[in-house]
Amino acid sequence: MRVWADNPLWRAWGGLMALGALTTLAAARGGQVAAPVLGAAILALAWAKARLILGRYLDLDRAPAWRRGFSGVIGAFLVLLYGIYLIPAV
Amino acid sequence: MSDTARADASGTLPGDLMIWVLIVSELLVFGAALGGFMAVRTTDAAGFAAAQDHLDRTAGALNTIVLLTSGLFAALALRACEVGSRGRARLWLGAAAALGLVFLWVKGLEYAAKAAQGIGTETHPFFTFYYLVTGFHAAHVVAGIVILGLVSWRDNVANIENATAFWHMVDLVWVLIFPVIYLLR
Repeated sequence: MRVWADNPLWRAWGGLMALGALTTLAAARGGQVAAPVLGAAILALAWAKARLILGRYLDLDRAPAWRRGFSGVIGAFLVLLYGIYLIPAV
Repeated sequence: MSDTARADASGTLPGDLMIWVLIVSELLVFGAALGGFMAVRTTDAAGFAAAQDHLDRTAGALNTIVLLTSGLFAALALRACEVGSRGRARLWLGAAAALGLVFLWVKGLEYAAKAAQGIGTETHPFFTFYYLVTGFHAAHVVAGIVILGLVSWRDNVANIENATAFWHMVDLVWVLIFPVIYLLR
């Protein structure tokens, strides 16, 4: 168990599972939370998962400038999607 | 650990430049598809929400777990190869590919359930995008499984690094597809 905890890849996997659980929890509260808030939470969680995959699985933690670049572009893309998502509610 | 195989603190990308060109290209293609999906959704948000209710979110969540775990196994295969443990690397690659097959099986069940309800690509624009995006992604999973199989055979660090980078791109795309198509309402 300690070997798993010491391995950054297993820790990343644990983080991804936790973020997945939070996503499920957020989606399950669909009727109780305002859609714009829920949408922002779901997309923010997706960005967090993408960052973990980029940093740990794709090993961009060893190339921080590239990691920031990829994370930034994906984050900007998700903000764009969120902007489009809000259009019907306006 | 191979000096050439791993990125270093100076900021070199891990693996071949061409695999990153491919990853960026794929992200752009899937990004355009998801952007198109969201744009068309603005014309019929209620219809998209009603169509989305036919999706199996549990299957989608299960496939997220399956694919992210498969990504872990692929990353562990590369680490094993880097320290010269070829047998262990092959085992992890096999496990990653096996989970890829599980992903496709679950996806197949989803498609079969839609077909049984008479839902096809022409049923609603939502499903046109659903089949287009998830089908194209599933095709990448098939390609990834083949590639993982090939590098199990030609098992050097460079090959496994490029194959697993492709596999992680498939992971990365899925964590963007799942919330946008299955969850956003």
